[in-house]
Amino acid sequence: MASSSTSVVVSNKEKENKNTKKVTLKSSDGESFEVDESVAMESQTIKHIIEDGCANNEIPLPNVTSGILSRVIEYCKKHKEAAGESEPSVTSYTSNSTTNPLTEWDTEFVKVDQNTLFDLILAANYLDIKGLLDLTCKTVADMMKGKTPQEIRETFHIKNDYTPEEEAEVRKENQWAFE
Amino acid sequence: MEVCIDFLNWLDPDISVQILMYLEDPSDLVHVSSVSRSWRDFVIANGLFKHLCLRMFPQLSRVARVMELNKCRAKKPVEVGSSYSMEWESLARDHRVYATLAQVCTSFIFEDCISEAISASSTDHYPDESIHNTLLPAYTWRASYWSSEGQSNPAVPETLIYKLKSEFCVITEINICPFQQHLSSLHIYSSNSVRFRMGHPKGPYDLGSRHLGDSLPCNADDTFIWTYTSPEFPMAQEGCLQNFRLPEPVLCIGGILQIELLGRVQRHEMDGLFYICMSYVQVVGCSLSPTFCVEILEPSGTFVLKNDMQGKSYTPPSLPKNEAQGNKYAVEFIDEYESGEEEDEAEVEYAL
Repeated sequence: MASSSTSVVVSNKEKENKNTKKVTLKSSDGESFEVDESVAMESQTIKHIIEDGCANNEIPLPNVTSGILSRVIEYCKKHKEAAGESEPSVTSYTSNSTTNPLTEWDTEFVKVDQNTLFDLILAANYLDIKGLLDLTCKTVADMMKGKTPQEIRETFHIKNDYTPEEEAEVRKENQWAFE
Repeated sequence: MEVCIDFLNWLDPDISVQILMYLEDPSDLVHVSSVSRSWRDFVIANGLFKHLCLRMFPQLSRVARVMELNKCRAKKPVEVGSSYSMEWESLARDHRVYATLAQVCTSFIFEDCISEAISASSTDHYPDESIHNTLLPAYTWRASYWSSEGQSNPAVPETLIYKLKSEFCVITEINICPFQQHLSSLHIYSSNSVRFRMGHPKGPYDLGSRHLGDSLPCNADDTFIWTYTSPEFPMAQEGCLQNFRLPEPVLCIGGILQIELLGRVQRHEMDGLFYICMSYVQVVGCSLSPTFCVEILEPSGTFVLKNDMQGKSYTPPSLPKNEAQGNKYAVEFIDEYESGEEEDEAEVEYAL
């Protein structure tokens, strides 16, 4: 009797370990972040590293600073949680707010300064996290919508290298868009 | 302190393209092109206006190439800061033509686009009940309708084929009124459902050689190539004008539209056969001629998109006050400018 109850306890513990398997991510500035493996695997890049057996418990990410990495992890955690709560078949989020329950959270998440936003784009690209890349790219696009060329230049600090004559010519080419 | 980075050229081109592809309004893309030389070059090099138009109208995937007709005298395209080459000229031409197409698509004036009836799959009592009757507006209150031949099997479908106002039309919806024998009767010769196809004639097709609504139907599959098929819409057994709105506006390349009437519901009391009869048909959309025209390339079925740079933007006819059906849109249209001179923008509003 005693031995059977022991074996039950052991197998439960095994299950626990499987569920909370962790992996450590190391940022470019040497900071270590321990996260659930399932959360880390939101990144296709990390997923491949783990699947190829090259993890060794610590994965260096020389292209991502600690500040950005912590945000990325926050994003992955939140989206992994939400995916866990819904049907397994529903894994692709559209940007349609009526179907994406995280729209509000996402909107707050990208309310950051431009430098951070672009760093997030680079990180999402390097780590291959589609949802984050789509979200950040769309945010940049939204910052251009409805703006005149001058307003776009001011928003993103772009140098206008047209001469006044060239600029007038380009405007005339598509005059309809400037009315 | 904000860092001065020109992100468009600093990020991976794939990412920059992804960002710009989120811009759905053609004006936004024009503004982006006007920000700086390098931004404009980026938009041209990555064919972003073409992508924009393709998203609006997937039917454009069959464009083999674009052409500019009647190009303005001595109007040199703005090739600022870019190296001139055949490939670049081709990209720049794509940029100009698709930008014009995008512009035209922001100022639609919707109207009935049927030019003439071509044929029906079958006709009873030709010519009294020919397809020609479907073009006469419903409000005339005459018992004017097209009738198919009778069938004992209700599953036998019928088709009606029409020619549109031009070979390049955007179609948004189709309105059809089934024939009701008497106002008080329940004999309504609708079909069970409808479906629409659009396409072009196979090879040179002389519509003039056919009598309008000829009782001998042409074999549609031999004569036309269908490049778009709509979903199937249920049809109500009601003698009123029914609206069938396409899920997305569709570019009809080739100017031919077919209505498939699927499933018969009404028997005629005299012979007990099933008939389908329609009083009125209207195809709502906007012709993009003469600004644009197409040349179908056989046998590939691809086509050349031609932008006539001296073709004025479509000038709307004055709409009849008692237009039977049709959504009205308040739109503004802008005259196409010619050879360096700008014409005044005209703003016209059409209220219901």
